[in-house]
Amino acid sequence: MVESARDHSAAESLPPGRWLHRWSIVIVGLVWPLIWVGGQVTTYDAGMAVPDWPGTYGYNLLLYPYQTWLLGPFDLFIEHGHRLLGALVGLVSIVAVGFAFFSEPRRWVRWLSVLVLLAVIGQGLLGGARVVLADRTLAMLHGCTAEIFFSLCVGLMVVTSRWWWERDGSEPESSGRRDFRPGAGLMTVSLAVCGLAYLQVVLGAQLRHVQPTAAPGGFTHLVMTHISTAFVILALAAWLAWRLSRAAGQNGERSAGCGDLTLSRPASLLLIFVLWQILLGSVTWVARYGIPWWAQVGPRSASYLVKSQAFAESLMITGHVATGALVLVTSVFLMLRLWRVRFAANQAIERAGSAAVVL
Amino acid sequence: MIPFRAFRLAGASARSVRLVGILAILGIVGCDAATDRFAANELHGRVVSFRESTGVAAAVEDSAAVVGELFGNPDVPLLPESFPDGLIDLENLQRAAGPVSSDREDVHFGIYRAHCVVCHGLEGGGAGPAAALQNPYPRDFRAGIFKFKSSPRGEKPLRADLTDLLVRGAPGTSMPSFARLPEEDIEAVVDYVIYLSIRGETERRLQRFAVAELGYGDERPDSTADRLLTDGEGHFQSAEIGSAVSQIITDVASAWIDARPVEVPAPPVYSAEAELDAAIERGRQRFHGPVANCASCHGKDGNADAVTLDYDDWTKEQTTRLGLTPSDADQIAPLRRAGALRPRAIQPRRLAWGVYRGTADPESLYRRLVVGIDGTPMPGLLVQEATGATGVTSTEVWELVAFLLSLDGRKDLLLTPSSRQEG
Repeated sequence: MVESARDHSAAESLPPGRWLHRWSIVIVGLVWPLIWVGGQVTTYDAGMAVPDWPGTYGYNLLLYPYQTWLLGPFDLFIEHGHRLLGALVGLVSIVAVGFAFFSEPRRWVRWLSVLVLLAVIGQGLLGGARVVLADRTLAMLHGCTAEIFFSLCVGLMVVTSRWWWERDGSEPESSGRRDFRPGAGLMTVSLAVCGLAYLQVVLGAQLRHVQPTAAPGGFTHLVMTHISTAFVILALAAWLAWRLSRAAGQNGERSAGCGDLTLSRPASLLLIFVLWQILLGSVTWVARYGIPWWAQVGPRSASYLVKSQAFAESLMITGHVATGALVLVTSVFLMLRLWRVRFAANQAIERAGSAAVVL
Repeated sequence: MIPFRAFRLAGASARSVRLVGILAILGIVGCDAATDRFAANELHGRVVSFRESTGVAAAVEDSAAVVGELFGNPDVPLLPESFPDGLIDLENLQRAAGPVSSDREDVHFGIYRAHCVVCHGLEGGGAGPAAALQNPYPRDFRAGIFKFKSSPRGEKPLRADLTDLLVRGAPGTSMPSFARLPEEDIEAVVDYVIYLSIRGETERRLQRFAVAELGYGDERPDSTADRLLTDGEGHFQSAEIGSAVSQIITDVASAWIDARPVEVPAPPVYSAEAELDAAIERGRQRFHGPVANCASCHGKDGNADAVTLDYDDWTKEQTTRLGLTPSDADQIAPLRRAGALRPRAIQPRRLAWGVYRGTADPESLYRRLVVGIDGTPMPGLLVQEATGATGVTSTEVWELVAFLLSLDGRKDLLLTPSSRQEG
């Protein structure tokens, strides 16, 4: 898998497929807003603001009159906007596949770019089926698979980066810290955070797309699981940040609490995102259902009024969805980098024939 | 050697398995819960069963079927033939019902499902998915009891009361303000809420009627003439039963049409602050006095420091009025299984905070004092010509209002504009 990569990285100062990397950054930069807009569609329950698909009110998606779109009803604005942005991501993904097959030497990465394209097509079809069948369950599924697609895009971005090429284990120093090899515990925790972050996405999607006939007991159970899992993720993310900040830096010395910045920074960012996400989750509950009775400790909290369709509140609610996506992809980003460092360390050990210290 | 035909069969079998697999996945993830019928009110059936000491399975089933024929379903609601004109706009009703969508003209459909169903439930039973996490619980419209209204205790709210509540919301609860919704959407929701309430109350009455008058139990009466039986188009096989059902619907609907507001006498306007302060002091004494005795629940000076243990009427109907202890999980288990939420004691308002869930203008406070709050232990005061041992005069009610307004710094509302400026 990495043989050809090694050859190239040794020979060139810039890694091959750098345009694929740049293009994958563009995709990531577009998919996050796409998740925002999709989240707003759900927050405003505007998924059926356009009754047909793939067209919009009989028009070709791209030819729908922009005046009617921009100046028409808000629900139509966000739903059609979501479709347009989705189409743009699709087009960018096609170009990415072109770059991959033109310049990317690793076959599996080329196929990863194809997978990203297939995923965005699948997302579009799922979104279309949600409209054509007027099915909220498919809307929920569409929300869940969106985050898998986002993770794939981030994965493509990570494996095409210069950092990834440099950590190929071909030379001892290329493994980062020579004596740092992420152990099974670290790998397990990073993988667990990815899994739990995705579980949160699924639970959140079920809460947002709850069926009108759902039993109160089931909903309550979902909420409790969502909250409990958030704190488990917080604990794991805090442990990851602490552990990676203690790992020694690039030159082998134990640095002043920063560790290998290429790992400790995403770990710290993950922790910040998780904390922010918990705060946004609380705000989301308050915006939807008001301040819980047990927290009404004074006239101000007791007089809090929930406002339906309030724009600021809707942004906070959707922000919870978008930050959830950031938690997931940051955990994927970190897991992939840890995996790469471990792989490179293993390679380096093999070549040097020396034992590494297992953290 | 495996014959070619066997390969073909194996291939066909594999395709069938794949097809079944895909259908199964679609069946699991691609199908919304059915919303083409309202669920039967099992909970009230259980209450009737407790009261009458009899099984009610057949009564619950047949009542739901009849109500389904007469009132339609959550996707396509209908109004029975005997339904009085002018109370509910059918077009509004059908726009508020069904799945959520909107069109290019920004006309919204399925408004109830978009904004209300998560708390109030598809049937308006107050047990929507998010209900168990709220305190107070969302309103069960099917009992036909509403808290914040301008009509006398025991009567239906005015249409304007529901509109006002939707626009204003209920501070401190999960009931939002829908002020940002277009007026016509709010009116459509009001129509739908009235519909759910009348439909639900009709079903409850039919259950009782079936058990008490027709001899329903777990089984149906032997004679088909005694059954809630229709031809599938809302026409009863027994004209007598048909007439009785029509009468039930008319009674329930007429109560909404006949609702009138409680008249409130003009408030005294105080021209001097000292005069108002004296009235507030008299109100305060009355608040703690034996006739109004507000402090017994709301605590000294409205600080909610009194020890109380009481329940709202929706909870009482399912517990204490059946001789069941709300805190006894075993006793109420059958009702929980039928859909009842865990009983919660009702807490009197901490009036000193000045936070009211209903409207809080002087006129509304006066009305609440003399009417009480439906569905809660908050009683109304008896207003009489002269002060007595059992009632108060309207002036004394206004003094109570003045005291309440003074708790949250709004006493100026009862001053003349000139005195207010002087102040």
